[in-house]
Amino acid sequence: MTVEKKKCATCAKAPKWKQDFPIEWEGDHYVTRRELVKFMTLGSALLAGANWIAAVAGSLIHRGSHAERYIGAASALERTGSLLFRYPTDQDPCIAVRTPEGKLVAYSQVCTHLSCAVVYSKAENALVCPCHKGVFNIDGGSPVAGPPMRPLPRVKIEQRGDQLFATELEN
Amino acid sequence: MSVRSQGTTLFSAILILVGTTVVVQLWLLTVSTEALLSGQTKTLIPAAAGSSLLLLINACLLRYVYRFDHDVERESQE
Repeated sequence: MTVEKKKCATCAKAPKWKQDFPIEWEGDHYVTRRELVKFMTLGSALLAGANWIAAVAGSLIHRGSHAERYIGAASALERTGSLLFRYPTDQDPCIAVRTPEGKLVAYSQVCTHLSCAVVYSKAENALVCPCHKGVFNIDGGSPVAGPPMRPLPRVKIEQRGDQLFATELEN
Repeated sequence: MSVRSQGTTLFSAILILVGTTVVVQLWLLTVSTEALLSGQTKTLIPAAAGSSLLLLINACLLRYVYRFDHDVERESQE
């Protein structure tokens, strides 16, 4: 049994975009391998473009984090052992800690697991996330226990007399 | 091997290659988006460069397809 394919009379006259999306069944045609390669290369160009947009957006966001900001008095940090501040914007909580060795370190307070606020534990000498028991090393901010996989972003701190300034956010 | 069957095999291989590179580009975009949202901006430029390299490979393969067709057409006219 042979099936004859009817010719669509109006399809050939239609513009190209209408030929690609025909209403009548007879107007439909198979996509050739050449067309598919062409279409996929176009998709590849779009994907590469999207990747560059992400890269440019990333560099613009990173550039905004170099502004210097006063975060508090060093004497307040000595009393409590840790100091909470916001850097680079008011929506970014951070924590500065004076380690038992006397080193001044600061990190983003947002846990890299599920964004809970980390706190300083004197007993463990580490930054601890109370939500899922994530523990971060105080020296580099790297995760040492619990579910977090990425280190905490580090904030560079400068001490000028009794004043503390955040100068840069390192990712 | 005739030109037609050669072309069929070649275009199937090219299609598989292009498909694979597009999947790798999709993965790169996923990684970039995740890195951007988590503030890990160091990986973004290498990922974009890698994606551009894959685009270049795809463009070269597409050019090859067009040149192959052009050569076959010219030979049939002669």
